[in-house]
Amino acid sequence: MKAENILEIKDLKVKFPVTGGLLLRKVAEVKAVDGVSLEMRKGETLGLVGESGCGKSTIGKAVINILKFSSPDVDITGEVWIKTDKGEIDLLKLNRHDMRQHRGIIQMIFQDPYSSLNARLTVGQIIEEPMLYHTDLSKNARLERVSWLLEKVGLQPEQSKRYPHEFSGGQRQRIGIARSLSTNPKIIIADEPVSALDVSIQAQVINLLQELQNEFDLSIMFIAHDLSVVEHISSRIAVMYLGNIVELGPGKDIYHNPIHPYSRALLSAVPVPNPKRKKKDRTILTGDVPTPMNKPSGCAFRTRCPIAKPECADAIPPLELKAENHFAACPYVTADEIRV
Amino acid sequence: MSEKTDNEKSTKVSASIFKKRWRKFKTLKRGYYSFIAIVVLFTLSFILPLFIGRDALIVNYNGNYHFPIFKYYSAESFGQNLQGEANYRMLKQQFKEEEKGNWVLMPVYPFGPNENLLSEMDGNPPHPPSAQHWAGTDDRGRDVFARLAYGFNIGLSFSIIVTFFAYFIGVSIGATLGFFGGRVDFFGLRLIEVWSTLPFLYVIIIISSIIQPNFILLVFILMMFGWIGISYYIRGEFYREKARDYVSAAVSMGAKNKTIIFKHVLPNSLTPVISYAPFAIVANIFSLVSLDFLGFGLPPPTPSWGQLMQQGLSNIENWWLIATPLMALFLTLLSITFIGEAIREAFDPKVYSRLR
Ligand SMILES: Nc1ncnc2c1ncn2[C@@H]1O[C@H](COP(=O)(O)OP(=O)(O)OP(=O)(O)O)[C@@H](O)[C@H]1O
Ligand code: SF4
Ligand SMILES: [Mg+2]
Repeated sequence: MKAENILEIKDLKVKFPVTGGLLLRKVAEVKAVDGVSLEMRKGETLGLVGESGCGKSTIGKAVINILKFSSPDVDITGEVWIKTDKGEIDLLKLNRHDMRQHRGIIQMIFQDPYSSLNARLTVGQIIEEPMLYHTDLSKNARLERVSWLLEKVGLQPEQSKRYPHEFSGGQRQRIGIARSLSTNPKIIIADEPVSALDVSIQAQVINLLQELQNEFDLSIMFIAHDLSVVEHISSRIAVMYLGNIVELGPGKDIYHNPIHPYSRALLSAVPVPNPKRKKKDRTILTGDVPTPMNKPSGCAFRTRCPIAKPECADAIPPLELKAENHFAACPYVTADEIRV
Repeated sequence: MSEKTDNEKSTKVSASIFKKRWRKFKTLKRGYYSFIAIVVLFTLSFILPLFIGRDALIVNYNGNYHFPIFKYYSAESFGQNLQGEANYRMLKQQFKEEEKGNWVLMPVYPFGPNENLLSEMDGNPPHPPSAQHWAGTDDRGRDVFARLAYGFNIGLSFSIIVTFFAYFIGVSIGATLGFFGGRVDFFGLRLIEVWSTLPFLYVIIIISSIIQPNFILLVFILMMFGWIGISYYIRGEFYREKARDYVSAAVSMGAKNKTIIFKHVLPNSLTPVISYAPFAIVANIFSLVSLDFLGFGLPPPTPSWGQLMQQGLSNIENWWLIATPLMALFLTLLSITFIGEAIREAFDPKVYSRLR
């Protein structure tokens, strides 16, 4: 692993089998993640954006190694290295038992604040739970830490006796954040932590995450389906389309100077106040998103790409360096054609 | 919902979902009162000999106290000129006439369920209802009201026990299938399908024609067939709950399967079990009544509603033999159904689906 990295994903592929027939034979597969390599620098916020269903959550769940639990037949290949005090570890090589020892340093914040908290437990019990598995703190010490965490996320310690249904979405997401921090993790996978929230509350939660990132020295993978959410908090952004990363670069560059035709289309759909932007430059995404089950060969975007060529069907284009630290997976575009 | 109104709300007393549902249940009067009535009656039915029965509660004989409901006394021990056990109703009468200061305290309704009253009554059984015998007697001269009361205890206990064990099996099997999914689920389901094609009534008839069924055997048979429905429910619940993020969160924290099942998934999967239970109890009461009616139920002389109805049907002119057990069955099933309805409403997933 490179010195500046805390997490390295190498050629991650996740395939969900589709079974059918009398004996549950595999009849097809969903290539949810189709060869993703991604590095996360220590202390950075790495944005991961893409439309619904492109495999963002699957990457997050593969990284924290929980896919096998809900889908025992899932086929996962590749490597997920993390740096710990005890050295570098490939999480995908660990079985569930060995994985358990490392769960404390890599935690996830889930997409849906309503279903991510067990409604039968009090907030205190929810936040305390990870400490039961990863620390040997006494009951009092745990409760003290629960109060402390609640304050850190902007709630009151007295609220630990309440149940999740007494909180709003934003407050619930704060509870989820407190839970994810209770074991002092180094890496946080934030899976669309704000997309279920009102716009007015989104900013509060994002700001909270940023404050906590500094205080707890966290490296965050921030998943979103909307570039504008991650643009100003991410040092780097990866854009995904149907299981592949199609563009990777510094947040500002991706937002203001997207290179891949898909990112361009994604951005032109966002109303950006930009005087330079002309109406005729807007690319509108046409056609339906193909499902990962019948993913087009070669460049998966070719069915909707305005500049697709016959050769695009041949092979998945690799990420190429297009500008400083800025990669895109399309051989037919350059950084110079600025089209925002 | 804005954060502000939520903070205001949080000054209210906090309540778990169960407490909220219980509060809601209490507001549903019909179900709540039925619940109280059934619970009180069922509890009382375990100390029924104190209210309804042939044995005296207390006998004061020659200055000594005796408690015949706990102990057998022969007729001679009270100076009664009879064979076998003392007849306390006659004893009461006798003591009164003797005026020696001896006395007998009888239960409010001094007739037992299995007691043959022919020697004390005129005419041939069945006797019609009277002030003494509220629901008359059956064709063997036994008091119908006492039989109904004891039959209530037996029927309800029976069906609660069957429901409990059937649920235990159904929940365990359904939870296993739903939690582990995949092939376990696939083959488990096929086995359940095969099992559920066994004709339950025939099995009982066959077994009863070989051996006389007793309480435990009937519980066992009904339980072996009663778990199937609930196992489907629980399987579905486990399947759904397992895919929810709070379970993923538990896995990502490093919780073990045991913790995940018992701390997370199971408590969130019990709603259908609880809201379905009253209806299962109703169904099991009905099963016992039907089996007794058909003559494949509990062995005589167990007081049984079904057996009374069967008598009623063969003596159709003795209307009380059919009307009173039907009435008792109707009222019991109706109240339990009211309870079930109220539970279902209190547990309405539509209100709480967002919270679960
Ligand atoms: N357990 C599973 N079994 C089968 N297919 C799955 C499973 N989980 C995800 N998929 C499929 O994999 C693809 C990627 O799903 P994923 O949840 O990663 O998308 P996402 O990018 O997080 O989308 P969203 O923005 O909606 O959360 C989808 O097509 C989905 O249907
Ligand atoms: S490789 Fe072809 S289809 Fe894919 S983005 Fe580039 S031009 Fe479009
Ligand atoms: Mg997702």
